[in-house]
Amino acid sequence: MVRSELAALAALCALPPLAAAAGVSYQRDVRPLIAQRCQTCHQGDSPAASINLAEFPGLARIAHSGKLIAAITGDPTTGSPPRMPKGLTPLASADVDLLRRWIAEGARNDAAGTEANRWWSLRPLRKPAGPNSIDAFIAAKWKESGLKGSAEADKRTLIRRVHFDLTGLAPTPPDLQKFTTYEKLVDELLQSPRYGERWARHWLDVAHYGDSHGYDKDKPRQNAWPYRDWVIGALNQDLPYAEFVQQQVAGDVLYPGDPQAFTATGFLAAGPWDFVGHQELKEGTVDKNLTRVLDRDDVVTQVMSAFTSTTAHCARCHDHKFDPIPQADYYRLQAAFAGIDRADRPFDDDPVTHVRRQTLLVDRRRAQRRVQPLLDKVEFASSPEIVELDIRLQDASLLLAHLGTPKTPAEQAEKERLTKRREDDRARRTQLVDALVGPEITSAIAERQAETKAVDAKLAAMPAPRFVYGPAAYFPRVGNFRPSLQPRPIALLARGDVKSPGYDVEPGALSMLGLPFDADGAAEDGARRTALARWIASPDNMLTWRSIVNRVWHYHFGAGLVDTPNDFGRLGSQPSHPELLDWLALWFRDEARGSLKALHKLILTSAVYKQSSGDRADAAKIDAPNRYLWRMNRARLEAEVVRDTVLQTAGKLDVTMGGPAVRMFFFKDDHSPVYDYARFDPSSPGANRRSIYRFTVRSVVDPFMDRLDCPDPSVLTPKRNTTLTAIQALALMNNPFIVRMSEAFAQRVQGPDAVRKAVQLAFQREPSAEEFKQLSAYAAQHGLANLARLLFNTNEFLFAD
Amino acid sequence: MSSSLPTSPSRRDFLFRSGGGLGGVALASLLSGSPAFDARAKRVVQIFLSGAASQCDTFDYKPLLIKKAGEKFDPGEKVELFQSNPGVVMPSPWTWKPHGQCGKWVSSLLREMGSCVDDMAFVHSLISKSNIHGPATFLQTTGFILPGFPSAGAWISYALGTMNKNLPDFVVLPDPRGVPPNGPANWGAGFLPASHQGTSIRVGTLEPIQDLEAPKQSFITKESDRDGLALLKALNEQHRVERTGDSRLDARIASYEMAARLQLSAPEVLALDGETDATRKLYGLDDANTADMGRRCLTARRLLERGVRFVQIWSGADNGFPRRNWDSHENLAKDHGALGHSIDRPIAALLKDLKSRGLLQDTIVHWATEFGRMPCSQGSKGRDHNPFGFTTWLAGGGIRGGVSYGATDDWSYKAVDKPAHGYDIHATMLHLLGVDHTRLSFRHNGIDRRLTDVHGHVLREILA
Repeated sequence: MVRSELAALAALCALPPLAAAAGVSYQRDVRPLIAQRCQTCHQGDSPAASINLAEFPGLARIAHSGKLIAAITGDPTTGSPPRMPKGLTPLASADVDLLRRWIAEGARNDAAGTEANRWWSLRPLRKPAGPNSIDAFIAAKWKESGLKGSAEADKRTLIRRVHFDLTGLAPTPPDLQKFTTYEKLVDELLQSPRYGERWARHWLDVAHYGDSHGYDKDKPRQNAWPYRDWVIGALNQDLPYAEFVQQQVAGDVLYPGDPQAFTATGFLAAGPWDFVGHQELKEGTVDKNLTRVLDRDDVVTQVMSAFTSTTAHCARCHDHKFDPIPQADYYRLQAAFAGIDRADRPFDDDPVTHVRRQTLLVDRRRAQRRVQPLLDKVEFASSPEIVELDIRLQDASLLLAHLGTPKTPAEQAEKERLTKRREDDRARRTQLVDALVGPEITSAIAERQAETKAVDAKLAAMPAPRFVYGPAAYFPRVGNFRPSLQPRPIALLARGDVKSPGYDVEPGALSMLGLPFDADGAAEDGARRTALARWIASPDNMLTWRSIVNRVWHYHFGAGLVDTPNDFGRLGSQPSHPELLDWLALWFRDEARGSLKALHKLILTSAVYKQSSGDRADAAKIDAPNRYLWRMNRARLEAEVVRDTVLQTAGKLDVTMGGPAVRMFFFKDDHSPVYDYARFDPSSPGANRRSIYRFTVRSVVDPFMDRLDCPDPSVLTPKRNTTLTAIQALALMNNPFIVRMSEAFAQRVQGPDAVRKAVQLAFQREPSAEEFKQLSAYAAQHGLANLARLLFNTNEFLFAD
Repeated sequence: MSSSLPTSPSRRDFLFRSGGGLGGVALASLLSGSPAFDARAKRVVQIFLSGAASQCDTFDYKPLLIKKAGEKFDPGEKVELFQSNPGVVMPSPWTWKPHGQCGKWVSSLLREMGSCVDDMAFVHSLISKSNIHGPATFLQTTGFILPGFPSAGAWISYALGTMNKNLPDFVVLPDPRGVPPNGPANWGAGFLPASHQGTSIRVGTLEPIQDLEAPKQSFITKESDRDGLALLKALNEQHRVERTGDSRLDARIASYEMAARLQLSAPEVLALDGETDATRKLYGLDDANTADMGRRCLTARRLLERGVRFVQIWSGADNGFPRRNWDSHENLAKDHGALGHSIDRPIAALLKDLKSRGLLQDTIVHWATEFGRMPCSQGSKGRDHNPFGFTTWLAGGGIRGGVSYGATDDWSYKAVDKPAHGYDIHATMLHLLGVDHTRLSFRHNGIDRRLTDVHGHVLREILA
């Protein structure tokens, strides 16, 4: 009785502080209420009754006029129910009172916020008094809730757990034999190159990394992988987190002599890219602008979600409804990326060559900047006759494309006729354009092109570069995809509509944090991204430091202290252990100096991590979701871990590291390329490499991985779903990969004692007498391969306690 | 409502579905408090014409195009096209005549479908936000122009749950020539649990459902499977004894039983040989040109009558050469001609067959495409994209047949009367299924996402 009251009290304490003596806050109290109850209809282009409550002025107007309270309270004299919200349950009387008090206090907007009403994630990091270790904070919550922790898990469970957690692979028999102490094991695993491969996968989920562009004509992205290798390397080398952040946003600018830091910026280009929109649409059209706005939107969303767990992207069409993020802030963030497009960028492993090439590319961009306005005069020169010719030219191209390779003499003749016509028309068009622009322009172009050619000659004389797909301020034009040459102006778009541009904004970040942003509208691309990198990695950016320790916690425990790792705003979850979160963030920033490996070790050697995952009815009664971690969470292995562990158990895992992504499908390049997993040759080189090296196609995901909840690479994935479906069971039973690996596993264990060996390899334990009997009988009747397939399908294989 | 689902269940963000599971939960909370929402339909079949089927060569009849044939196309404003400068006015290569009691004008390209117009409600005033195939296809399949969002079928599976535990809720019948722009992402679950994604069935191939059966010529036999599943169950149950309170372990045990049922039910539903000759003929299985689409339309009917919620049939693959979808930039008469012929009879057959079996009254049939085509020529024989006005139609459960909603101008260029969006079609579809489109939501990355984004109006004028 007392215990459940305590639990209820604890639950209450976890709720946001309600309006107390401080008065009613628009930002904290009123805005979320209005957003949830009124804005479904009263917002957007054509709000109901032309009342837009998504923005403060609209709400203030009807609040002051008395219409708001009248609409939500009904008529006490007639007893008629409130008119609003239409067709839904009326507002609770406490909510009505809240709005009344807010109006009585003047219906003010406290957008700036004060310390007292600031949302938890926006308060400065503060070292809590008292506890000074993870376990002390955890125990304090147990005490408050009437909980007790669980006993330490047995040795085999711990070894298995920490192996999967840090390396994404099962422990092998030698691993088990050489085990001395748990702490040593943690150290060893953190030194294993497999650690970087395992944890890079987590970060690539957050970056929605993929090896193809996505959308229509989903083209392979040949040079995404150097960024993937950078993440693996950065984690294995334990790059301090502030560096990890800054290199990904502006490594090319901050470390001009470091080719590795250059590849780190692949982060900014990790997401999907609209090939047709960029390459085929004409400059200056509405759809072209839309393509670019959405492209930057993807970058802004990814950067702010990944590093600051903030939903800045919610402010694209209006001010953020729940968090203090004005729409202008969102467009300032777009302006931080206004100088770049996503493209293959050349770089060199030798730092001297690297610097030389990058310097030449800056010169090349400057030279292009001088000639481009003149080239545009030619490109956009038009007259009725030119338009007429363009139609004829396109007609010829269309008909030629449609004709393909001629199969008859008539088709051959047609092809020749069209080709000739096209050549004549082209020549005529050139004449017309030359006459239109005049000889001065033509000669000025020739003169300035001498500059671009001079730089091109120097570039051509250099050794062949490598490439990484990343944020590019300059790249050779392909079709209608061309560099901005200088940052594009970014206008605030009313309602997010490209056809309603408002005023131009300067680059910037989230004003709610009050941190400096050191670049203005005159800044070049590099300065803009550098300013943002410094803003994110600032020791004073409380969001950044809380975000990363929470992510790491999430991957170790299966749930974060904040259970919405990408959203620390009002729509996100509240931290279960706010003091612990702050303590960890400060410890990580100051004591560990941003060492992720130190953070892992701190967490993995805590008693709370080492607990058994067994259920306890008494504790489950108080805290069934295990928010207070009275036991460890059991983990369903992720798709990549399942695949890698199957390979490992079958004795086939190829641990070659790095390099171009492995195409585990049949590929045919075409207008729209073909990716066919069914026609994959499993004996091809690299087929048995770790899943992190798979070529991840956005439009056609690997069906086997997909069925194990491997996320769509176009979706930002802060935490993975776990589904357990019939289709998944079928994949684990019948997919050719499982069937093939079952045969390999059978071969590996065949001979005397095969059943015992198989169980040891799959489960890292001895079979019980009963199991041994059952499995031996099955193997005797149906063969070892069937036994292997059976073991791959067990819950014991697929879960880590 | 449903936004609390991903965070509230007992263990992590553990989501699975066995029996009525999640779907049932979502449904209950969606419908509560809104008794006005009478479901008029239980299931949907969407026929997606990939590559953009022309409105002005099918259902949007404009005599002006015949009158002004060959003249300069001048709708009185600057025309911004995807690839080209506008050419001359190009009338349809097909002839037109009125059909049915409602007198709807349909081109001779789709004369069989013409006989069904009294069951169809046409929306002629659709507008697309994008004139590029990828984003525009996403807009119609998922409600967004960006990748990563759940398909309408996934939302409906999520909202309504299953009517037949032995089959998937959302089945996709892709064109055998290949996948459309965006590929299977068009039928993905996005951020919804993967159990709601479309299951692709390749009708008429050796392995219609991936991994349904063990590979032939492997070590696996019927007996090894039977004994193996029994032993697997025993092992999993032993494993569970010491691990009480984790429903995921139970769900996995159940998933193998469901898999076994799927193995039995899927071949039955895909076997068309039990259909009568009359039915096979109705669907055009006797004609090489219509046999493929016919098989898929007939399969769709069999899936629907067995309780599959959402069937998506694709006509057309990617936009490559030689043309294998509706993207007729170069030679409309040839490319639309061949495609139109291949689908006309099968689709008409599906409507008639559903009707005669009493299924049409609670099944929504939806003709969808990503945008329309220009009334002027591109080059000399093709048509460029037209996102400014295009046509879709709905038929079946709760739809008023024989009506036309909205209109384009006299050119079939631009929606001028009651402009509508894909959001409105999705809102209407959900409404007929008894779901309020503003309340069907799922929180992802800080936003309560909906199929209809922040838009959508139920098109009441086309409701029965």
